[in-house]
Amino acid sequence: MTVLSRSVATAPPARPRRRARWRPALTGGLALLAALVVFVIPFLFIALQAVKTRREASRLDFAWPTEWQAWENLVEVVQERDYMLLLAYLNSTIITVGSVTLLVIFASMVGYVLQRRRSRVNGVVMGAVLAGLMIPPAVVPTIWVLQALGLFKTIHGMILIEVAYNLSFSVLLYRAFIATIPRELDEAAIIDGAKPLQVFFKVVLPLLWPVTVTNIVVQSIGIFNDFTNPLYYLPGRENVTVQLTLFNFQSQFSSQMNLLFMNVLLVTIPPLVVFVFFNRQIVAGMTAGAVKG
Amino acid sequence: MAEVQLRAVRKSFGAVEVIKGVDLRVPSGDFCVFVGPSGCGKSTLLRMIAGLEEVTDGQVLIGGRDVTDAEPSRRGIAMVFQNYALYPHMTVAQNIGFGLSLAKRPKAEIEDRVRHAADILQLSHLLDRKPKALSGGQRQRVAIGRAIVRDPKVFLFDEPLSNLDASLRAEMRLELAELHGRLDATMIYVTHDQVEAMTMADRIVVLNGGRIEQTGAPMDLYRHPATPFVAGFLGSPRMNLYEGEAARAMGARVYGIRPEHVLLSPERGRWHGRVRHVERLGADAIIHLDVPQLGDLVARAAGETTLAPGSEVWASPQDGTEHRFPA
Repeated sequence: MTVLSRSVATAPPARPRRRARWRPALTGGLALLAALVVFVIPFLFIALQAVKTRREASRLDFAWPTEWQAWENLVEVVQERDYMLLLAYLNSTIITVGSVTLLVIFASMVGYVLQRRRSRVNGVVMGAVLAGLMIPPAVVPTIWVLQALGLFKTIHGMILIEVAYNLSFSVLLYRAFIATIPRELDEAAIIDGAKPLQVFFKVVLPLLWPVTVTNIVVQSIGIFNDFTNPLYYLPGRENVTVQLTLFNFQSQFSSQMNLLFMNVLLVTIPPLVVFVFFNRQIVAGMTAGAVKG
Repeated sequence: MAEVQLRAVRKSFGAVEVIKGVDLRVPSGDFCVFVGPSGCGKSTLLRMIAGLEEVTDGQVLIGGRDVTDAEPSRRGIAMVFQNYALYPHMTVAQNIGFGLSLAKRPKAEIEDRVRHAADILQLSHLLDRKPKALSGGQRQRVAIGRAIVRDPKVFLFDEPLSNLDASLRAEMRLELAELHGRLDATMIYVTHDQVEAMTMADRIVVLNGGRIEQTGAPMDLYRHPATPFVAGFLGSPRMNLYEGEAARAMGARVYGIRPEHVLLSPERGRWHGRVRHVERLGADAIIHLDVPQLGDLVARAAGETTLAPGSEVWASPQDGTEHRFPA
């Protein structure tokens, strides 16, 4: 006791904290500045061009518009090519809803079986899942397969493509999350008389809600914003998706930058809204299972 | 209420055999406790009775019916898990009634039986809560309620009290014993805690390394352990056990004496030693002695003992309490 009190008494006075105080402010400020340059300035640039006239927008600079044309540009973009943008919204929505629904159902079931069942097949399935993440898809052979199945240039063919391309990621998310649900819960349900499908749909699936929200949000944004896959697998005027409408305003010899950027603005808004509202859940679902395997 | 019988039951995980041929009969209405160190196979054995683990070889009979290959839900059993395993997205009432609703019983009947089970366990005021709004003891009670409502022939408990704190554990021990008296059902209870085993059981099954070491009433095992393992496992503080030269001098391969059967005296006795440490528990004190003839010796003395570390003392066994295990 005496030793302790003496050491406290002779301890040097606390060092002044001034140096520690400006440091977080500086690093935080730098981070904010970086974020501003990377995320906000491009967005402002888009918004600025979208309200200019064609001539001013073609200069692609930060100059303030002399003439505001927001409404006119908006109307023109929507009416372009016989209201193609509205058709594109419809198509993109069908593809997104359809493929995300299938993704959630399949990925949760596959993730559950992979995590729970002790079987030799699991290693093979896991290998296939990882291959799906790592090996880039080959476009031309995929088109051959689609043609042979009569799915090329169809919306449901496109939905299957999106499911196939994104299934691996969703399966891994679900599998990691299911590892945090105690196995005893399944066993209690089995003793209560639940059949395997009932165990999954009545006990496990309701508990997967956080990771399901993550899956829905991440995959919807990805699929809604998909540019290349609809470009390859879904040609045809009536099959247009939102990202492909950008081609309406850009050609080799003439570009309407004001309309192009207005279009960009319009197709960016739905994912942005989704992201802003579900941001918190996305992080929760992503990190669940990260520390407890 | 039904008798549970295991016939030459074996279980292997790959090449590792964890249950090495167990024969056991648990009479109808018994409170039987499986006890043993971790990894002895007691939980596996219970899960095999429940049907959650497949039986590699042998037979499981419940109420005279061979259920070795029957579904868990068709065995007439109910199980309470260590971590409660309550469905977090359901209310207490839904948790308790889940089995009945799966069996598509009429709503009124489910409500009736849930209420009955809740009354037995004093849960009626909690029926609308979700599990996360309950305390540990309440959760455990809901888990037991889920078992009661199935009206099983056999209750299985897998270390149900080990997640509770010490005072609550003592309370629930009493409650479970009373519940057994009231329901009069066969109960099989797994624990690694020898206090739970001694206080609750009609019959204790001591397991070690996948085999039954000894079966019997708690005090029978306490008084007449068949092997040094059982002797060392039951009783706290554990029995003093000696092998080798010290035991041979006493005419046994392994010699044992319980701490409460060691008499201490300042003048005379069989062994002379020095007090190394005194643990005072209040009602009594645990004396750790260094005895040159034996090694360490633990004795139980009255709580008010004047012995202190460093004192010289004589120790001797009470008549008829020594355990000599033959080679």
